Amino acid sequence: MTRYTLITVLLVLASFVVQQFLPALTGLHHSRILFVQLVFLCAAVTVGQPTMLLLAFVCGFLWDAQCTLGTHGGDPEIYSQPVESLRFGYSILLFGGMGFLMQGIQPLFKQGKWYFSALLSGISIFLYLAAEYLIITFVRGNFSFATATALQMAYTSVLTMLFSPLIFWMLFTIASLCGHSINPEAAKKRRRHF
Amino acid sequence: MKPLNLIAILLFLSGAVWALTRSERTVREIQASYFSAIAPFLKSGSDTEAYARSFLDEVRHSKVLEAELATVNSEMGRLRIVESRYRELERENAQLRHALDFKKATSFNVAAAQVIRRQPTTWWQTVEIDVGDERGIGTQLAVLSNEGLVGIIDRPAKDRSSVILLTDEACQVSAKVEDSPEVGILSGQRGQFEGTPLLRLKFLSKNAVLRSGQRVFTTGRGGIFQPNILLGTIVSVEKGAEDSEALVRPAVNFADLGTVFVVLSQDPPKK
Repeated sequence: MTRYTLITVLLVLASFVVQQFLPALTGLHHSRILFVQLVFLCAAVTVGQPTMLLLAFVCGFLWDAQCTLGTHGGDPEIYSQPVESLRFGYSILLFGGMGFLMQGIQPLFKQGKWYFSALLSGISIFLYLAAEYLIITFVRGNFSFATATALQMAYTSVLTMLFSPLIFWMLFTIASLCGHSINPEAAKKRRRHF
Repeated sequence: MKPLNLIAILLFLSGAVWALTRSERTVREIQASYFSAIAPFLKSGSDTEAYARSFLDEVRHSKVLEAELATVNSEMGRLRIVESRYRELERENAQLRHALDFKKATSFNVAAAQVIRRQPTTWWQTVEIDVGDERGIGTQLAVLSNEGLVGIIDRPAKDRSSVILLTDEACQVSAKVEDSPEVGILSGQRGQFEGTPLLRLKFLSKNAVLRSGQRVFTTGRGGIFQPNILLGTIVSVEKGAEDSEALVRPAVNFADLGTVFVVLSQDPPKK
């Protein structure tokens, strides 16, 4: 259990490295594979609440370190209405929210129905992007929602979700190597069957 | 609820509040540490992206031609900027001689850079270039191409820097319209990733008389951008109750950014 938890933390850190190799797909409305979010979501459903929150903090903290923009600067007399930046740390709460969403269907996952979690990972990514967009709108004002933005969010969610079976396979393999069961009820069922 | 879960939630919330209340300086330090830790992977990542891009380009051009073209383009862009600057200096010098018989010493120094990553984040319109602290790059330096203003340096690292593009909402520029008394603040618009993004020139006078095709330049006011850098051309004007706004087509083709120039030193911008 401890070994598995430690490896999921390392896996999340490794996902930040992988993310650097995944550029935006200009042909698909600048959508991208959000690998960090995907690894977090898949890991969140396989661990307990305290570990999920730890992962959410690590992911949110590092994601903001990667993405936060600085303030514009300049003479405030000229730039009297600066565009507000999002505060560093907001992603921690978003990751936490997504984690709780994933843990909501943990009972199904424990029964071996991982595909529900895979589907929910796509939905969570979409909600995560929508929440981010809404926060930006709330902070900066002037609500506008272009079709291209909706498509960008949809393609990003679907593209990312397509990789969730791969991440679940990795997590199952890691759990098996650590001698830890991440879906105990399904394992019991399998044992009874045989 | 289990006590352990409750403690975990409390710790999580405390951590989130701690992060949310960090000052900008602390955030910059955190970012510097993060990017220095991840630097080798960033380099490999951008190399992969650049390789993929050049592989696609290779369908049309041989590698030798491409390298020659990049060098020539880079040199041509630099010379164009220098030439335009000299023209401006000539004009300024003539004006000053005429008015005050005064000669002003100026210097103009740019660092050429290549765009190595495009849009590394989901919502912000940014690129990364291959020069950083080592070449004297600091925050809030103007970035130009031979077509006009590209953006502003946001976060310099050792050998790379992040540039907020003019098409991003957060990049505001004090702008003036040629042959017109109109001045305003130009910035990008949210969520414009497709095609040619249009910029919005705000805070124009209520009865602004502008026509399509008029060029927009930096005013040089505000302490960031130097004056007379081309920003774009007017597309249309929207009259409001209190002021007018204009849509501006950027002078720079942001979809095809290759070589850019960071203005290291110039005449100090007007406050």
